[in-house]
Amino acid sequence: MTEHHVGEDAELYPLGLLDDDAARNVELHIALCSACAQRVAQAQAVAASLAAALPPATPSPALERRLRESARSQPSAKSRASLFPFALAAAFALALLGLGWQTLVLRERLQSDDVALVTMVHSHFNHVSMAPESANPVAAKILYARDGSWIYIIADKPGGALHAFARTSAATTDLGVLARSGEAATLLLHPRERIRSIVLQRAGTNVASAKLTY
Amino acid sequence: MDELVEAFAERRPLGLEQAYALWSPLFLSVARHIISDRADAEDCVHDALLRVWRAPNRFSGNREMLKAYLATCVRNEALTTLRRESRHDARALKAARLAPVSAVDAPSVDPVETQRLQGALARLPEEQRIALMLAYYGNKTQVEIAKEVDAPLGTIKSRISMAMRKLHTELVSPEGSRW
Repeated sequence: MTEHHVGEDAELYPLGLLDDDAARNVELHIALCSACAQRVAQAQAVAASLAAALPPATPSPALERRLRESARSQPSAKSRASLFPFALAAAFALALLGLGWQTLVLRERLQSDDVALVTMVHSHFNHVSMAPESANPVAAKILYARDGSWIYIIADKPGGALHAFARTSAATTDLGVLARSGEAATLLLHPRERIRSIVLQRAGTNVASAKLTY
Repeated sequence: MDELVEAFAERRPLGLEQAYALWSPLFLSVARHIISDRADAEDCVHDALLRVWRAPNRFSGNREMLKAYLATCVRNEALTTLRRESRHDARALKAARLAPVSAVDAPSVDPVETQRLQGALARLPEEQRIALMLAYYGNKTQVEIAKEVDAPLGTIKSRISMAMRKLHTELVSPEGSRW
């Protein structure tokens, strides 16, 4: 997804010139792309400078009071919302990959996995569809960091426990079992070295595989 | 990280209160430029700040970046409100009193910054300056600007984008600072 940068929308966004869909795309993209995030931040700084020339306005005391009350009336459930942008970003990435079915599931899952989210958001990544390897294959995709630091495997309707393996000409390494999450199953990995081939097994039978290029 | 930024990002009330104390006049100015009604404009500031504070990004920038980000959120909140309520009359009214930077003696949120801004805007190519001012100070959409200046939509986007980037070089980036 990072190949599709926001371009001129970066400057239009802080001016409020984008429609809802385009604005949302910018917000989601910059959660994943540091280059575009920087460009948007620069445009926001300019927009703030433009605001300096607006006629001054003094907020009423009631506004501050209301804001304080609203803030204090909220539970301090830091974990509830603080991960939202990352989940949203991951959902966006999956939507671009045609995995709309997965987005809500992933959001829930990622809200419980801070490390995964932070890792994904601060990375540039590739994606690949897994090729079927049996008569009863599974639809699955892999998102992976271009630097090889993480791999995220997503399978739709796994139809049973899915076991992931790294495959080389010399050996096969057990990567673990995908965890069920609603209709899907996922697995986040932080491999010590680059994995170039992954195969999924169901009940000992290969059902899908993919090659990762860096 | 800056204490204020850290407090805001961690959703501590102190972060929200400090941000409000420092920048609420700016935020209200941004909102009132779009929404004439004072109470509605204050609602926009309230809603935008609270929404961002409740679900903050993992903000790693500095204080100025947080201010700019929040100002953007307030502006987008106000524009959303405006569009939702279809206050086309209000927009036309605002557009009619376009470009406060042209009124040199008019009071502004930040007179010093306004002077810098006036200089930087004056150095933009005219077509870029007009497109940007119609967008920001006129609260006009891309389509409205394209019609007004009789130029293709893509051209308008490019002009505004270029203008913003030049202003960044002049006003914000250290290497471009002339003051």
